[in-house]
Parts: sequence; structure tokens; C-alpha cells
Amino acid sequence: MDLKLPPLGEGVDSGSVVGILVREGDQIAKGQGIIELETGKAVAPVPSPAAGKVTKILVSLGDKISVGQAILCLEGNASAAVKPAAPAAPVARPVRPAGPAKAAPPPQQEPEAGVGAQDEPAEDAPPPAASPTIRRLGRQLGLDLRRVRGSASGGRIVMEDLRAYIQRLQHLASQPRAATSATASKPAAPSIDFAKWGAITKRPMTPLRKAIATHMSESWQATPRVTQFDEADITALNEMRATRAGAYEKKGARLTLTSFALKIVAGALGRHPVFNTSLDEAADEVIYKEYFHIGLAVDTEQGLIVPVLRDVDKKDILTLCKEMNDIAAKTRERKISLEEMQGGTFTITNQGGIGGGHFTPVINRPETAILGLGRGALKAVVREGKIEPRLMLPLALSYDHRVIDGGAAVRFMLDLVKGFEHFDEQQLV
Amino acid sequence: MLGAGPGGYAAAFYAADLGKRVLLVEQEKKLGGVCLNCGCIPSKALLHASNIMAEARESAHRGILFDPPRLELDKLRAWKNGIVDKLAAGVGFLAKKRGVQVLTGRGYFEGSQSLRVETPEGQQFVTYDKAIIAVGSKPALPKVFDLGNPRIMTSTEALEVEEIPADLLVVGGGYIGMELGSVYANLGSKVVVVEALAGILTGADPDLIRPVLQSAQKRFRELRFNTKVTQMSSKGRKIRVVTEGPDKVEKEELFDRVLVSVGRVPRFHDLGLENTKIEQDERGFIKVNDKMQTDDPALLAIGDIAGGVMLAHKASKEARVAVETIVGEPSTSAGVVIPAVVFTDPELAWCGVTESEARAQGMEFEAAKFPWGASGRALTFDRTDGLTKLIVDLATERVVGVGMVGHGAGELIAEGVLAMEMGATVRDLAESVHPHPTLSETIMEAAESFYGVATHTFSPKKREE
Repeated sequence: MDLKLPPLGEGVDSGSVVGILVREGDQIAKGQGIIELETGKAVAPVPSPAAGKVTKILVSLGDKISVGQAILCLEGNASAAVKPAAPAAPVARPVRPAGPAKAAPPPQQEPEAGVGAQDEPAEDAPPPAASPTIRRLGRQLGLDLRRVRGSASGGRIVMEDLRAYIQRLQHLASQPRAATSATASKPAAPSIDFAKWGAITKRPMTPLRKAIATHMSESWQATPRVTQFDEADITALNEMRATRAGAYEKKGARLTLTSFALKIVAGALGRHPVFNTSLDEAADEVIYKEYFHIGLAVDTEQGLIVPVLRDVDKKDILTLCKEMNDIAAKTRERKISLEEMQGGTFTITNQGGIGGGHFTPVINRPETAILGLGRGALKAVVREGKIEPRLMLPLALSYDHRVIDGGAAVRFMLDLVKGFEHFDEQQLV
Repeated sequence: MLGAGPGGYAAAFYAADLGKRVLLVEQEKKLGGVCLNCGCIPSKALLHASNIMAEARESAHRGILFDPPRLELDKLRAWKNGIVDKLAAGVGFLAKKRGVQVLTGRGYFEGSQSLRVETPEGQQFVTYDKAIIAVGSKPALPKVFDLGNPRIMTSTEALEVEEIPADLLVVGGGYIGMELGSVYANLGSKVVVVEALAGILTGADPDLIRPVLQSAQKRFRELRFNTKVTQMSSKGRKIRVVTEGPDKVEKEELFDRVLVSVGRVPRFHDLGLENTKIEQDERGFIKVNDKMQTDDPALLAIGDIAGGVMLAHKASKEARVAVETIVGEPSTSAGVVIPAVVFTDPELAWCGVTESEARAQGMEFEAAKFPWGASGRALTFDRTDGLTKLIVDLATERVVGVGMVGHGAGELIAEGVLAMEMGATVRDLAESVHPHPTLSETIMEAAESFYGVATHTFSPKKREE
């Protein structure tokens, strides 16, 4: 029998094959991973629903496959076809790179009647079978009948199908924004022929890139964002780091600026809880979280991924350093799981390792604030009437002005600056 | 409305029904256009009347004997004209009831929204918001035939049946030549048909043409294919005709009359179209979109002048689309099933895709056929020269074409049109009860034969239902 890719949930219908875990001739067990599939940002194995011998592998590395597409042929127990993935299945749930569980249930399992066979009909699809009455109604309502599935014999569209289709459209339209964005159809692209002005190369967007694009667009559109800029004098902090780095290395941890930042931010969040929130637009509620899970933006070859460190307030710096290293490595190797990217309450994005000064980070929805760090650089600073070279760290705090006001932002920033400038060395012991 | 033919008056009435103020301009005194006055109606009347001559002869073998029927031509002509007059008066009456203003005269566009009408009483100028052009077509008369001799007729003159010529040459084996040739043959002429292509009624499927050809070969003196007329001239009271066949040998003959039925051309001359934004194609047809709109925002065009199949019911349908477009309803002529009927004996009728077209398109289809030799009703008519054929798309089992030849095919094809418009599958036709004994059953049995289970033929199939 052919093993087919089961539905992946939440409007995702395809992914890229990034790993083939079995060979032709292998005897596999039920539940054994057969391929690794990349959807959105997560890479996860697709389990086999049955035991048997792999007779033929039908996909190759890099293939883009869709739900329902055959992956391999299995000989042996004639079990039922691959069942649709239950929410707890190891098949990756895609799209939200660092987002939490959505408020609304996914709009995936729709009633069958009237559901269009495909949302985007082929351009040259033959006219659908429908009586003149239905066709006229379609014209009057401005419906493309090719998107309506006919339930009468031969696939003919009858009134009941139109009714069900319109109800489905209404149902989709009334879903909370977070849900409908996954099923919204793409806007029509204006067709510009860039080749007119010179040579071009086209590269398709990877699933990761698409996920980043969607996430950033949603954040941008939903959030009135203000970015607060400042600088912190980290001369002392840097010396602290240099002094302690060796000892930390011996314990298998790399002590970096980010390690300090985690603790500084966690402390500030505790004193300014409005920066550790999410906005429930549907319920008009601001949700204050009593836990502190901080996401770290990691720059990977394929793009930006944000793994989350949990309970930063409760862990000491050594633990945090070790966890940071592990999680960064895992992220760069794309071994990070979706769960490890969820549940963040605040995000730190540190460009300093590469360079850069102030910038305007995009808030990692559904959080309400994000801190951007630039590269610490020696600058001329006036201290007690004299100009001195000091190591200055650029800070950029973006926040959601629906929830946080300017005054709160300034106070939070001042708290952060104080944290960087007067770090308690005792915490390093 | 410019033109009061089946397109024009249908549009005028519909527009009036929907509340518009309508002016119907028609150059002839009698409304109804070519169809009513010198086309569909008189030809069908004459076909009906003349077929009786053939039937009277055939009746003998059933034991009903007639003295050979006599023809009183004046009476036939008067009867035919009576029908035409009655219908034309009916159209006039309906126009009056609906408050449609009728203006007799020839229209000429001075601008997009301005028409000069030459009436018997003088010129009148008309302005309007929108106009629908439905001026129709006329018989093509190539120069080689245009001698100004009344014995060389087009369909218009042929329908006047001034006389029944002893020898009639019909140039062109299309539906007009075949229908009118049949009328004259039935009424006593010895008819020769000359056709430049390889057969008659090109466009229809060969298996449907065959019974028509066989019947014509019995009634006509001769049918010549791949043959052209190279010369024509008057010779006393006859017409001298030179034809050239596929062997390239020229043949000279004398005929009492000649019917030129080589096609129809759009009537676009002298309309002042150049004073509007209308675009025409290289043959003069007015270019329209699927909503019957022309390139001039104030003008629409329907029927023969707008190209496509030159059939009255196509014009009437386009009339509906044009009026709906004007009143702002979303309408379209795209995807509408237009049947075609040839009123020879046996009749030939089809709608949707023909078997030849299906094959040319590379469609995966099956032609489900039922021969009328197996129809009980056909036998009671002594008319087993018939065939019903359904073209079925194998992917969906939908009926995408229906073709029929036989007695009454013209009426029976309407079921095919409805089936197609409703998106019927072949099973829908097979499982709809058709009354017995009728010719309509052949449609049901053709559908049943798709599954190999037609009752009255044996054509078993290995098919999963």
C-alpha cells in the first residue's frame, strides 16, 4: 500500500522533504519515522501508520510534497491508510515560529458539503456542471462556481451546495484574525517584469522564509509599534565578563553579553510587568504572565528562528549560559522543536555579535515588547565633566502602544540601563 | 432596436417588459425579419406541405392509396404567405401591446447615439441612450452568379415558389440548399445539387448525415461533390451552367432555374458604422464580447450581424443577454448550448460537441448510439432511417453532445439541450422514464447503451457502474 502524507493541520498542506529515514528493503515498525518534513520553521518526522517492508520510496530530498501525496510503498500488514494526524501526533504543527497556541480552533475540519475541492481553481478548469438557474445565481452573487463543489450526480452544483459554500465563507470570515490569516488567500501580485531592466535570478521562498514573512507581516499590521532608543555603559559589565569567562568555560558554558541581558531583562520585567504581557483582542483583555520565558533571536543560515529559554528568573547564569549554548546549536542545526519555540513572554534580539547599532526590531507577536541589542563600541562619553572612552551598548526597545505607553517605556528602559550599568557581580558566582 | 427579426423583436419586447422605452426600427413594412418573412417560417411551411407529396406516394404500400397528388401552386403560395402575414401581424400586435414604438425605414448611424432613418415619409432623426443592432444577414451572391436574371434565385426568391422548374440546379449543399432542394424535388423538379466540398451539411457527423444523403439521393436527380460552378449565363428562358468536378472535366448543362445557396453574409453595408466606435472583423461581422457589447459603449449587436452561428434562436438568446446587460444584470452568452437543426427529411439535429469535434479535441469520450432500426415507434412511421447519439465525457459521465437524425429530430433535440444545460450525466438520461412508444425513447436507450444494457439492442459492455 502507498503511505500518504496525512493532513498537517491549521491550513498547511505541504512541506519539504529534508530527510529520508528509511531505505528500500527496510522492515519498519508502526510509528517509526519515515521522512523528515520541514513545514514553516519546524522540522519533524512523519511516522508510519503501519509495520511492513519498504518496497519503494517515492520522494527525494528537497521534494515539496502535499497532503495526500504518496511517500513510499509498504508491503505487509494491510492496515488502514495513514490516519489524519491528531493534535498530539509527532507530525509538526507549522507556521507560528515562536507563537503560542491559538485562541480559536483551527478551521481545518470543515463540513464536507459545499466545500470547494480546491481554493484556487485551475485557470483552464472546465465550466462546472450547474443548471442555468444556479449559474445565473452565481453570476448575481459574484461567485466563481468553479470553487464550489457539486454534490449532485456527476459533480453537479445544486442549491444546497451553494448554501453550504456561502455558510462556509461566512464561518471563515467570522473567525478571529489569528486563525483566518492562516487560511487567507494570497493577495494577487502585481506582475512586474524585473528582467526588463537587467539580469535577474529567481529563488523560491523556503517554508521558513514564508513563515517569517507571515509572522512579520501580522505583527507589523496589528501592532502600533514605538521603538525607544538608549545606550548603556557596559564598561564594567564587560570587565566582569572577561574576568569570569575562563571559569565558566571550564564548566562548559560560554559567558556572553546575552547571558547578562537575560537576567537584566528578567529582573526588569518583574518590576514592569506590563512588558511581560499579551493582548487578547477578541476579549479586550491584557494578559499578565507570571512566568518569564525569554526568546532569543538566532540567526541561522536559512533565516531567523527564535527558541525560548524558560523560567529565566529562576535559573542562575551558569545554567542559562549552558541552555543558551545548547539551544542555539540546536537551532542552527534545525533540530529545534515547535514546543521549544512557543510560550515566550519577551524576546531579546542581539545583533551585537555581528555588528550594528540601533535598529527597530519587530515585536514577536503575541508578545508586547522586544529588546534589540547592538554592538558595544567605545565612545566618547561625558562623565563628571570629563570626556572618557566608555564601552557603550546600543539598546532599542520596541513595544506595543496599545498596551504600553511612552512613560512606562521610558521607565522600563531606564531600569534596563541601570541593570546593564550596575550589574550585581554576586549573580555570577 | 435596429432590425425586427428574431433577435430584434425579441430584444425590443424584453426591454419593454423590463421597463425601457423602446423604438424598433425596421426597413421592411412587415416585422419579423428574414426568419419570419423569407427564411425559417416559409421554408418550414413549404417543407411540410411538399413532404405530403412524397408521403402520399409512400402511403400506397400501406394500403392507403391516393390518385397522384396535384399541385395548385397559387394556393400553396397563398397559404404560405398567409402564415407569414399572420405571424408578422402577431409581432406587430405584440409590439403595440408592449408600447414598443415601431418606425419603418432604413437606419443609418450618424454617431454613436444618433440614427438617421429614411422612412417613406422622409428622414427622421433619432437619439437614444443605447441601441442594439440586429440587422441580420442576406444570401451571398458571388459575382459569377449575379446576372440580374430572375431565374437565378437566392433563398428569398426560391421561397416565393413562382414556378416549379423542370430542372433545378442547387449550388451549395448546406442546410438551405438541401431544404429548399427538397421542397422543389417534392413538388416535381428534377434537382441537381453541386457542392464544392466533399459532402453535404459539412460540420455534422458523417453517421448523422448518411440517412439524409441517402434520402436526398432518392429524391434528387443527382448530388455532385468536389464540384464548382465555373460559369453561368442566360440562354433564352434557361440558364447555361458550366461545372467542374474533381476530374477537372468541365460539364455544360441547361437548367430552368438555379438556386444559389452558398452561404450568408452580414448586412453591414451602408449602416454608418464608421461613424461609431464599432469594430468589425475582416468579413464585416460586428465584434462583440460575451455580453453582446461592441467597442462603442452605446451600442450592442446580436444575431447574424454579430457573427457566430447564424441561427434565429441564437439571435433570440443574444437578445436576452443584450437587454440584461443594458439593465445591469450580470448576463453572458458564454457557455450557452445552441442546437442546430436541418429540416430535411429525415431531419438532422445536434447540440454541444459533435463526435468529430470530440475526437479532434482529444477528448476522452464515448459515443453512445441507438439506431432507430431498433425503435418500435420509428417502425410504425416506416422511418427507421434514424440514429440517436450521445457524446459522453468519460471523466464525469456528463453528456457533452447530442446528435440525432430522423423523423422529428428537430423537436427531440430540445431534450438534449436541456440535459446539457442541467449538466446531466448519461445516467440521468438513462434513468428518466421516456414514454413508449415514442422516438424520444431513443435518447433514453442511447444512454442505457452506454452501460451496455439498452433493452432493444444487444451491445453488452464490461463496465462498472
